[in-house]
Amino acid sequence: MERSYRWGVCIPVVLVAVTACDFLLTGPPDDGDLFDAPIPGLTTGELAAFVRGDEGFGRRFSPAEGLGPIFNQAACADCHSGDGRGRPEQALTRISIGSDLALALGGPQIQDKAIPGAQPEVVPDGVDISVRLPPPVFGTGLIEAIPVASIVANADEFDADGDGISGRPNWVLPADFVPADEPGGGTGLQLGRFSRKAQVSSLLEQISAAYHQDMGITSDFLPVENRNPQAGGATAAADPAPDPEIDAATVRAVVDYVRMLAPPAPGDDTPQRLRGSELFTQIGCESCHVREFQTGPSSVAALANQRVVLYSDLLLHDMGDELADNRPDGDATGREWKTLPLWGLRVAREFLNGDLFLMHDGRATTISQAIELHGGEAATARNAFLALSADDREALLEFVRSR
Amino acid sequence: MKRLATYLFVSIALGAPAIAVAQVQDTLPARPFVRGGVYDRPYLTRLLGRTVVGGYLEFHARLQRVDGANEDSGFEAKRWNIFTATEVSDFVRVSAELEFEEGGEEVTLEFAAIDFRIAPTFTIRGGMLLSPIGRFNLAHDSPLNEFTDRPLVSTEILGTALSEPGIGVLGLFPVGSGGRITYQVYAVNGFHAGLIEDSPDGTRIPLGRGNVEDNNASPAIVGRLAWSPSLNFELGISAHHGAYNVFEGDGLRVDERRDLTIGVVDLEAALAGFRLTGEAALANIDVPATLRDIFASKQQGLYVEVLRDFGQAWVATLPASFFSVGVRLDIVDMNADRPGDNTRQVTLGINFRPTEDTAFKLDYLRGTGRDVFNNPADHAGILFSIATYF
Repeated sequence: MERSYRWGVCIPVVLVAVTACDFLLTGPPDDGDLFDAPIPGLTTGELAAFVRGDEGFGRRFSPAEGLGPIFNQAACADCHSGDGRGRPEQALTRISIGSDLALALGGPQIQDKAIPGAQPEVVPDGVDISVRLPPPVFGTGLIEAIPVASIVANADEFDADGDGISGRPNWVLPADFVPADEPGGGTGLQLGRFSRKAQVSSLLEQISAAYHQDMGITSDFLPVENRNPQAGGATAAADPAPDPEIDAATVRAVVDYVRMLAPPAPGDDTPQRLRGSELFTQIGCESCHVREFQTGPSSVAALANQRVVLYSDLLLHDMGDELADNRPDGDATGREWKTLPLWGLRVAREFLNGDLFLMHDGRATTISQAIELHGGEAATARNAFLALSADDREALLEFVRSR
Repeated sequence: MKRLATYLFVSIALGAPAIAVAQVQDTLPARPFVRGGVYDRPYLTRLLGRTVVGGYLEFHARLQRVDGANEDSGFEAKRWNIFTATEVSDFVRVSAELEFEEGGEEVTLEFAAIDFRIAPTFTIRGGMLLSPIGRFNLAHDSPLNEFTDRPLVSTEILGTALSEPGIGVLGLFPVGSGGRITYQVYAVNGFHAGLIEDSPDGTRIPLGRGNVEDNNASPAIVGRLAWSPSLNFELGISAHHGAYNVFEGDGLRVDERRDLTIGVVDLEAALAGFRLTGEAALANIDVPATLRDIFASKQQGLYVEVLRDFGQAWVATLPASFFSVGVRLDIVDMNADRPGDNTRQVTLGINFRPTEDTAFKLDYLRGTGRDVFNNPADHAGILFSIATYF
């Protein structure tokens, strides 16, 4: 009897001790090391919306649930690893012929997978190909909340100051379904902020189009299935799910989630990184990779009046022949790309199984390679980087690596 | 239909030698066909004349985390299953199992079979059959198992409990002194295309279960052969093969025929007071070319567990009580075509059984899963469960 009593006491005590122990039950990483943490200061209601949207972002679709008939991936999260960038295996292929987006040939984007009964698209002959790596999605709410005037203030389309940098905004027409009161919506041209060439002005449009183009999921916003013009109309009937396959609330939940994703924290300042930071400014990197902005008002209070340390001017720049894809996007030419933010590089490898893929198509696997690929307006800064001493070059790389 | 006819022919051909050795079988010692299988359960009562009624009940409490975030935690009224078995005559018996799972959310006729026993070496079985694909699928009752959760290879790849409508034969042959070879082979409906079309997570064979009305009029074949030289050792091999998609309609070829083939090796041994069980499975799935990369054409996995009983009658008021400790290794690769989408975990368990039919199980599991990007995520859990036959 005494022995059974001992067991009766010991087992609950052990249970309580064990459940309190992160060591045994795994502990969470720091929020600052994640791509999918919420921005600080959200209300409980906003956090609840964040959790709902997170489920939507991670939801994978089966063919029976509406995936396809042609598609690239089955979930948002299947492109954006941990909500960060993707790998080349997840890269999307866009096609064009000059300024023609080749819609009759399967453009603007090739859907290389298809559900049973449908036929995937293949890249047709004679078109320009632009491979696009899925970009990180964190911090987009902060980018959305930067006032237009702050971004446009850095524009210098005709290089009036003679520094060789001529960033310009991409003014785009938002999709018809984007309401006027939605950030980036409204009549007339709006400032493009999202996607590789800043060709999208609103998160609602970006995410609705991703459902439609990348997953073949129709929504209240884009209710007509994407067809494969290379295969004729009959294969579209292979998709058994009635359209629209998701409602507006589902899309908006994911919009809210992405809007409230925080950027990861930069690394601590070290003497080497501080030296690198000085060089970053001295050799002209900062002319395009503008360190920070301040947000304006936002419907999410935690996004309003915040410092946004993203290292990008969000403007278009001519990046030279080597990076040119000859594909226009909105007002952006085939040689222009939006300056990519550098935030999140510190932990990017952790979400790519130790790898790193940089530039629009992931062709660079180190920061040094990425810098060396800079051309066009960035050629002067690139050359200055190459002219640095080995120690200074490493200091600059360490600074960028720690962002 | 041609395939079905072939299977029946094979069955009848096997029957002749089986009847010839029937006399020998009557001298074999009493031993269940499958330890813990449908005819090796502790039934309590005869409520309905010649029909025996029993069952088991299973309750779980779990706390699980993935990288520090709670996941799949809470209480579960996991299963309440009821068995019946009837000796209709000296030659005919009927057995069934009705499963109420997840608090009654899922109600399944897991097993309902008629056995026509011609001889120990040859019995014809038809109905809703437990597919002989690995030993665990044939003997998976929770009070029998020493861990709260079933092995991952069984739940994620084989889809235990896998039952299918079908017909076939089973029997045993004596080998040496106390040894035997058992076999089961059935023609069954097989899987349906839900393993691809209903699955958001890539190829998931369990989502192709439930092909109650054969979707493609093309039977699959499943069988297991087990060699047991003594009571303490059994080695089994089994396979399941058949088309899972609809490839013909109205007499027209509407798609390519796509097959699913699963092979399993299982082992059960007892040595020096330790019990060792394990199972390894490999599945090959014909995936439409248009879905490759995100739907796996190959999956594989295994589990190995080692157990030891101790503490007989340590609880003085329960003289039949004893404890068990065990460790299990689970490895499953849900997409062996490429890196990622896999799980490895170790489970440590300690059980208390007031009698052999009832188990209080406390488990700690720890492992690492890799997502489709091959990024690792650690998971751990504490599981407590009660399972008992009744």
